[in-house]
Amino acid sequence: MSDAVIYDRGYRSYSGDLRGRSATRRAIVRDGVRRILGLRRKARRKILPWALLSIGLLIAAVLVGLLFVFGSLGGAVAEGLPSYPELFDLYSRIALLFLAITIPELLGPDRSQGVLSVYFSRPLTVGDYLGAKAVAYLVMAGGIYLVPQLLFHLGAAALAEEGFLGYLGGNLDVLWKVAAAAAGFILVHGGVLAIISTHIDRTSFAAATFLAVLLAGGNLAGILSQAGFPGSRYASLLALDDHARYVRDWIFDVDLGDYWPERAGFDPWVSLAAIGFVSVFGAVWAYRRYRRLA
Amino acid sequence: MTEPIVTIDDLTHRFGDIVALTNVDLEIPAGVTGLVGANGAGKTTMLRSLLGLVHPTAGSIRVLGHDAATDPISVRSIVGYMPEGNCLPKDQTAADFVGFAAEMAGVPPKDARRRASETLFLVGLEEERFRYLGDFSTGMVQRVKLAQSIVHGPRLVLLDEPASGLDPAGREQMLALIRRLGGFGINVIVSSHVLSDIEETCQWVVMLDRGRLIRSGPLGERIATGTVAVEVLSDPEGFATALIAAGLDAATLGHVVTVGSADDTTFDAVMRVAADTGAGILRMGRAAITLEDEFLRQSQELRS
Repeated sequence: MSDAVIYDRGYRSYSGDLRGRSATRRAIVRDGVRRILGLRRKARRKILPWALLSIGLLIAAVLVGLLFVFGSLGGAVAEGLPSYPELFDLYSRIALLFLAITIPELLGPDRSQGVLSVYFSRPLTVGDYLGAKAVAYLVMAGGIYLVPQLLFHLGAAALAEEGFLGYLGGNLDVLWKVAAAAAGFILVHGGVLAIISTHIDRTSFAAATFLAVLLAGGNLAGILSQAGFPGSRYASLLALDDHARYVRDWIFDVDLGDYWPERAGFDPWVSLAAIGFVSVFGAVWAYRRYRRLA
Repeated sequence: MTEPIVTIDDLTHRFGDIVALTNVDLEIPAGVTGLVGANGAGKTTMLRSLLGLVHPTAGSIRVLGHDAATDPISVRSIVGYMPEGNCLPKDQTAADFVGFAAEMAGVPPKDARRRASETLFLVGLEEERFRYLGDFSTGMVQRVKLAQSIVHGPRLVLLDEPASGLDPAGREQMLALIRRLGGFGINVIVSSHVLSDIEETCQWVVMLDRGRLIRSGPLGERIATGTVAVEVLSDPEGFATALIAAGLDAATLGHVVTVGSADDTTFDAVMRVAADTGAGILRMGRAAITLEDEFLRQSQELRS
């Protein structure tokens, strides 16, 4: 006869620290970052975010490589490489696709899968929940905009004839300009995405709607602002994406394109105010919606 | 009754024109309590009120010494909740989700992973904990829902229809788990519209019907009706007629005649009538009914 004994491990109540709401918020931020990147999720959830991140990093690596090969020759090829504003413009297009899935992915599944009922049974307010989601969005959006451009900047500094520190010191303004221009895109896109994502559960539908709204807003702004009726110039403000581009050009002091608010005679600060309005409106909209859902 | 874990004073909750709870006064003791009522009786509203997720139109709720309306964060720190509906992300593993649920309650990440494993072991999912929740059966989903509700070591767990959608074997396993929680000293409030589930698991029962409290009391004993039940050998109608003629209040139900109020004079009077009529009495005693009978009787009274 065996001497083996079966033990019931039973249940031990948790007797450690409960760290309160701040820990809950941090947990949601960590989960949000993981969710955007598809970490601890099925493999197919990783494809799009990692593909876009890889493209961003690859572009930076290729440009630094071109600088290394051609920059040392001091030739025309190096001079043909994109400037910082042009590089930013390129990254803003990659980031647009990335951002289109972030907030929908952060908000939609929690609603469609009923997980909100678990979230709000924890020591958590609606403000905590949305605030933590917003931080996760800002972390990832900031990452896609800033990390590749920072790597390019450091790579360019490492290869610069004036030396690493000399190049960084001579181009300090690039850092704040890139960050400020990125903030414009992140805020205006975040506001639009917040409104859309609080109503459309599926990430793909919400992302497609977001891109359609930006496209339609630009076209509508163009048609209406040129219609010639009294006050028609104000319709140019519907071109939401143009606000961020107009402000970007203002910050970098370049002119990379024509924008509807600019054509209608508005100053860049009007676009800046529009960005602020859209982001605040989106946040308030999401808060009011979740007050009902919680 | 020892110090109640839940005290509800004159609670009324309205959703627009719909009254979900009306003037509920209630004290719930420590242990496992059943919240019984038909669909729409107000069970889920009461559970959500206990968590402070809905604010009462009138009245107050105290849970483990905290006011649920004004201090819901403190309540939710020490209470676990298992919702009735779907609440699990399909693209996460059980271990990841339960661990995250622990972190959401403030448990540090490292402890949360350990607690998730322990709790999933407790509910019988140690082998499946690294599988995606989207691949789980209904029974396994219910167990994960239970695990996330207790992973942070709450002092009170609110279970909303935990056996809903389970087959008989799964239902029995879930009820056994709930009984075990009570055995571990966790206070449990479990809602169900299946009375037998409550009878199997709970020491205390709270009955709701259309938002009104119809009973709050201990289980374990059959519910005395305050009448005498007399089981007769034959002709119960004739015996009931003789009892009525003798001035007693009597009614028949099959071979059983229920009589007046259950005091000694009633017993003596019934014996006299039996002797006079020659009726054969098989059994006589204080009448008691099941929880189900009591629920039906009280809800009918309420409606009439």
